[in-house]
Amino acid sequence: MSEQRQLLSDSAARLFESRDAVTWDDIDEIGIADVLVPEERGGSGADWDDACAVLQAAGHWQVPLPLAEAMIARKLLAEAELEMAPSRLSIAANTVGTLSGSGRACKFSGTLSSVPWGRDVAHVVTTLSFDGRTHVVVLAVADAIVHRRTNIADEPRDDLQFTDASAQAAAAISREAQHLFDYAALARIAQIAGALQSALERSIGYALERKQFGRPIGQFQAVQQQLALFGAEVAAATCASRSAAIAASAGEVSFEIAAAKLRANQAIGIATAIAHQVHGAIGFTREYALRRATQRLWSWRSEYGNDRYWSERLGRTVIEQGADRFWEHLVSG
Amino acid sequence: MHAFKFDPVTLPANAPAFRKEIREFLARELPHVPAERRTNCWAVFDAEFSRKLGARGWIGMVWPKRYGGHERAALERYVLLEELLAAGAPVGAHWIADRQSGPNLLRYGSEEQRQKYLPGMARGEILCCIGMSEPGAGSDLAAVRTRAEKLPDGRWRINGQKIWTSNAQHSQLMIALVRTGTLDEKNRHAGLSQFLLELRTPGIRIQPIVDLVGHPGFNEVFFDDVVVGPECLLGAAGEGWRQVTSELSLERSGPERYLSSFALFVELLRLAGRVDSEALRHAVGRLSAELWTLRQMSLSVAGQLAAGEDPMLAAAIVKDLGNTFEQSLPAIVQSLLGEDIRLEDDSDLARTLALLLQTSPSFSLRGGTREVMRGIVARGLGLR
Ligand SMILES: Cc1cc2nc3c(=O)[nH]c(=O)nc-3n(C[C@H](O)[C@H](O)[C@H](O)COP(=O)(O)OP(=O)(O)OC[C@H]3O[C@@H](n4cnc5c(N)ncnc54)[C@H](O)[C@@H]3O)c2cc1C
Repeated sequence: MSEQRQLLSDSAARLFESRDAVTWDDIDEIGIADVLVPEERGGSGADWDDACAVLQAAGHWQVPLPLAEAMIARKLLAEAELEMAPSRLSIAANTVGTLSGSGRACKFSGTLSSVPWGRDVAHVVTTLSFDGRTHVVVLAVADAIVHRRTNIADEPRDDLQFTDASAQAAAAISREAQHLFDYAALARIAQIAGALQSALERSIGYALERKQFGRPIGQFQAVQQQLALFGAEVAAATCASRSAAIAASAGEVSFEIAAAKLRANQAIGIATAIAHQVHGAIGFTREYALRRATQRLWSWRSEYGNDRYWSERLGRTVIEQGADRFWEHLVSG
Repeated sequence: MHAFKFDPVTLPANAPAFRKEIREFLARELPHVPAERRTNCWAVFDAEFSRKLGARGWIGMVWPKRYGGHERAALERYVLLEELLAAGAPVGAHWIADRQSGPNLLRYGSEEQRQKYLPGMARGEILCCIGMSEPGAGSDLAAVRTRAEKLPDGRWRINGQKIWTSNAQHSQLMIALVRTGTLDEKNRHAGLSQFLLELRTPGIRIQPIVDLVGHPGFNEVFFDDVVVGPECLLGAAGEGWRQVTSELSLERSGPERYLSSFALFVELLRLAGRVDSEALRHAVGRLSAELWTLRQMSLSVAGQLAAGEDPMLAAAIVKDLGNTFEQSLPAIVQSLLGEDIRLEDDSDLARTLALLLQTSPSFSLRGGTREVMRGIVARGLGLR
């Protein structure tokens, strides 16, 4: 593990653990929204492996802010050399609409769907094709009609509607700008890995504590075997997340992101079922904290590509490569 | 929890060139392997092919040169193994010697034992088998009852029986776990020792067992008053449990634990290339994701081994998930076939599928059962 990665993830975890509700001020204080921003633009110049370590901690401690989205937004802004708004930013990976005008100051009409914390941030960053090129576009939420929606974990996922709103736009060539949705998925996978770990830790702790038939339920082999499977699934999702993040730091990464999101999604099904089974009725209460992990996991399984989406994309790619090339491609990364 | 370590690995810079070399060799030596023979290929016996690999320097390639090895890097060996397995090369004859018997000798053997056997193993001429299981000792390996008693002249007399011994009928050597001390129910791991036995020793009788598909893959091995010299003890008397545990780590940690059904995945890809179907695309997508993840995990275990660590927990996880993948694949493929394809067809796809449907249940038994793997993981989680 690189030193930078360890430092970042440790200081993030310390912060997240110590706060009931992490705020933007907390985030700004340790500068973790800027990890992907190059050093010459005032960021940490870290890579995706480092960023995902922070996001894994955010997923573990259920940070109630769009930190992943802010990180990506700030990276896009820095690359496009657009004005750096404060960190209260989100992104829209599902945008339908049109830009008009020219230069940096233009107009946008259209809808940004499912924007994490859209209602709470000052600006939203998205990408659009304009003049045959991908552009990074910044919009002020104050100019939008906000349709408030929340996912099942109570995280805001708002639809923002703009009519002739002023926008800043600049052409962008980075992979992140060209494939915003994929990189948003990469970030979400790291959060999934973190939330899976927290659910596992909570379940193990509970199994060691809760007594039935005169002993901790964790001593029953049936429970142990289920938790071992849970552990294996968490290990798989975490390893997939890490591997995809490392690949993203090195270059083209669409295969790895697809594979990692599919694998993480699969782990969610097995892990959340076992977590709730081990907890019995207490885990089914509003009060008990397990749901904070499991409700997020169920939401995140749909976000930035569900199984159908990614298995179609990945399946198509692999089949087009041809049966005799599969192995070669698999090991070439 | 934090005991689960799957740190990433960087393969040696020469890996791509080495892969090319291996692929060219395989294309030359194995132009037409029937698809079904490529399944579970590390159990496919072909002594001639093993000798060719030996001549190439591809058995015992990480061992010291003075024992016939080639002092290559552990991760180069990993590249070799995954290339051989992905190509479905018949590597069963020497697999045990390369994976565990040779390394076990390097770790615990005497200088004389190493000189006597390792060079022959590296040439692919001395083949080995694993003498662990007995009729009364499967998952509970410490229950072995085969006994070696020390004779007044320093030799050992062995009586008892091993079972499920793969390839014993073709092997020259067995490393056997036997009881040398009396069984102490409070410390069942004490009083065990490993012996390095030449199978042609008088008193050893090998009787093949035919498996479910009709293949005589494993055996019963009987020991009737087998007398061997003190030089046949491997390592120290009474240290058998510690030694066998480290041998099991090697046995459980390789890429063969997720690639046994890979040949069927390739046949599925061929089918998906011919037939345009959403169900096929989605299955291929999911299975590719699983394969990619398993390879990343397996690589990480290899990296830990190469760094001199004992990744017992991580290896148990990869074996459990890998076996589940290998086993799920046949049923998934069967569920995807159209009405025009029958299981009894004489096609690569049908023959591969038919064979794996029958052999895959053994994947989560051999090398330690799924339940045993999960027991190891549960202990790692602090539950036992
Ligand atoms: C193809 C093949 C090749 C093999 N080759 C070799 C070889 O070369 N050399 C060799 O020594 N052995 C070999 N084996 C044997 C293999 O190691 C054993 O099959 C394995 O260790 C399980 O032992 P068993 O078959 O006696 O089953 P058992 O131990 O009797 O287990 C039966 C079932 O009970 C479960 N069980 C047992 N104990 C527990 C427990 N405490 N908690 C929960 N569940 C439990 C098991 O998980 C399993 O599901 C081979 C096996 C196969 C299938």
